[in-house]
Amino acid sequence: MSAANVISQTPAGVEPGTPPVRALAVVVAAIAAVTLVGYVVPLGFEAIGYIYLFTVIALSLCVGHWLALVAAVLSVLTWDYAFVPPRLSFFILHFDDVLVLGTYSITALVASQLIVRIRALQREREQLLTASERLHRTLLDSVSHELKTPLAVLQSATAKLADGDPARRILLATEIRAATLRLDQLVTNLLDQTRLESGALRPHLDWCDAHDLIAVARRSVAEALEGREVRLDLPADLPLFRGDAALLEQVLANLMLNAARHTPPECFVRVAAGAARGRIFITVADNGPGLPPEIVADPFQRFRRGPDACTGGIGLGLSIVRGFVVAQGGEVTAANNPEGGACFTVYLPLISPARVPDDES
Amino acid sequence: MNPDRAKPDVLVIDDEPQIRRLLRLTLSDAGYTVREAATGQAGLDEIARHSPDAIILDLGLPDLSGVEVLKRLREKSAMPVLILSVLGQEDRKVAALDAGADDYLTKPFGDGELLARLRAQLRRIKPAVATNTFCFGALEVDLTHRRVLKAGRPVKLTAMEYALLMLFITHRDKALTHRLILRELWGPHAERQTHYLRTYMLRLRRKLEDDLDAPQFFQTESGIGYRFVSAPPNSAPSSEA
Repeated sequence: MSAANVISQTPAGVEPGTPPVRALAVVVAAIAAVTLVGYVVPLGFEAIGYIYLFTVIALSLCVGHWLALVAAVLSVLTWDYAFVPPRLSFFILHFDDVLVLGTYSITALVASQLIVRIRALQREREQLLTASERLHRTLLDSVSHELKTPLAVLQSATAKLADGDPARRILLATEIRAATLRLDQLVTNLLDQTRLESGALRPHLDWCDAHDLIAVARRSVAEALEGREVRLDLPADLPLFRGDAALLEQVLANLMLNAARHTPPECFVRVAAGAARGRIFITVADNGPGLPPEIVADPFQRFRRGPDACTGGIGLGLSIVRGFVVAQGGEVTAANNPEGGACFTVYLPLISPARVPDDES
Repeated sequence: MNPDRAKPDVLVIDDEPQIRRLLRLTLSDAGYTVREAATGQAGLDEIARHSPDAIILDLGLPDLSGVEVLKRLREKSAMPVLILSVLGQEDRKVAALDAGADDYLTKPFGDGELLARLRAQLRRIKPAVATNTFCFGALEVDLTHRRVLKAGRPVKLTAMEYALLMLFITHRDKALTHRLILRELWGPHAERQTHYLRTYMLRLRRKLEDDLDAPQFFQTESGIGYRFVSAPPNSAPSSEA
C-alpha cells in the first residue's frame, strides 16, 4: 500500500455521513412528534418547552451544523405558535413568557451549536489519529523494506563470494556495489529529512554560480545518468546569486536523479537556468511520461510516491528538495510540460553582488 | 620522504577497526606500507616514533578532534594529510583544511578515489625538478615568460587571473578553502568576499577549460573551495618537463 493512499484518506469535512434531505426529514419529524405529544399529554407549556430543548440537543448529536440550527429555530417557532399562551398564535400574552421564550431560544441555539462543534472536533481527531497511525505503519514498512532489501543482497552476495565460483565474482561485486549505493542514498535522504524536521538545518548563504552548481550536481549523479542525454541550456552570462551551494547541489542532484529514475533510458534530461523578474531560476525537465495526475498538484509532500513508482526510494527526494529550497528563501514548482515530461523549477532571489575589483586594464 | 624507497609509508588514524582493516587491504595491495592507530594520541606517538610519508586521518576520533591532531602534527612536519569525514560536516572539513590538511574524502568512498588522491598527494611533495614549465594535459604554463598555452595556443590572462592560476599550480591536487584563496590573492580583509572568487573562477575556467559546464582542471568542492586537478582522467597524463 502506498503512502499516497494514506494521505488522500485524511478527512475532507466534518459533516456526518447522513444525506441532508433525509436528516432534514428526521429533524422535522422529531419536532412534529414533540408537538403531537404536547397536544395529547396534558402538560404545562414550560414542560413542553423542556421536551423541545431535550429533542434539539438529541438532534444536535447526530446532525450537522446547519440542521442543528434549523432544529433550534423550528422548535422555538413551533413551541411559541402551538403552546405559549395564547395558543395557535405567535403573539405572547405575558411579559414573563417572553423572557421564558428568549431564554429557551438562546439555550437551544447555543447548546445545539456547541454540541455539533464538539462532535466534529472529536471526529476530526479520531480520523487524524487513524491516518497518522497508518502513515507510521506505512513508513515503517517502506523504510524497513528499503533498508532490508540491499542488506539481504549484501549478505547473500558476500556469502557467495566466500565460497563461490570465481567467474561469478564480477557479477556479485556489481550487485554489492548497487546495494551499497542504494543504502547510501536512503541513509542520506533519511538524514536530510531529519535535519529538516528537527530544525537543525542552518543554510549557509554565499555567492553561487549556477554553472558551477550544475556541474557539481551532474558529477555526483554521473553513475545514475550514464548513457543518458543531458541537454544544457545555460546562458554564458548568468549572474551570481545568494544560496547555500552544498544544499543546492543536493537539490539539483535529487531532481536529476528523479528524472533518471522515472523515465525510460532513451529520454533526455534538460537543465536550464536564467534570470527573470528579480529571480534566478534553474529548471530540471525531461521528456518522459510526466507526473501522474494524482500527485501533480503537490508532489513535494513527504512519503508521497506515484502509483507506478518503481522500486527504490521511499518518497523523500522531493520533500527534501522543497525543504532545502524554502530554507534558503526560495521556491520550487512542479508541472508537466505541454509537450510532455515533468518539469521542476527552483527559484531564488537575485541580489547583485558588490563590484569585483577589476584588473583587466 | 625517501625517494629511493619502493614502498611509501602510510599511517591510518581511525577508531573504526573495520575501516582500518579495509584501508590496510586496499593500501597494501597498492604497494604501500601501512601503519595503524586507533586514537589521535596513539597516532601522534606513532608519528613521533617514525615519520610516515602520508597520513589518513578520520575527523571523528574519540579522544582528540581531527583539527587538534592536525595542529599538533603540523608543529613538526609538513607531510600530506588526507582527512576522512561524513556528509554534512562541511564546517569541520573547512576547519581541518585551514588547520593544514591537504585533502579530504567523504565516507563512503571508493578505493579508486582514495588511491588517486593519495597518489596525487605523494606526487605533489616529490622534490621538484628544476623546472619552469608545467604541462597539465592540454595546458602548458611557462613560469619564466609568464606564458600560458592551451592546446598550443597562447591564452591572455590578467595579472589577477595569472596569480590565481599560480596559487593553484603551487597547491595542485590540494583542496584549497575559499578563505585561503581570498586571503592569498586579495588580502586578509577580503576573506569573506566569495563573489570575487566566483567571478574570477568563472573567467579562468572560460579561458582554460574546454567545457565550462564540465570543468576538468578547476574542480569545485561543495561548500569548501576548489581543487586544481593536475591529471584529469580524461586528458593525457601530466608531466613536469
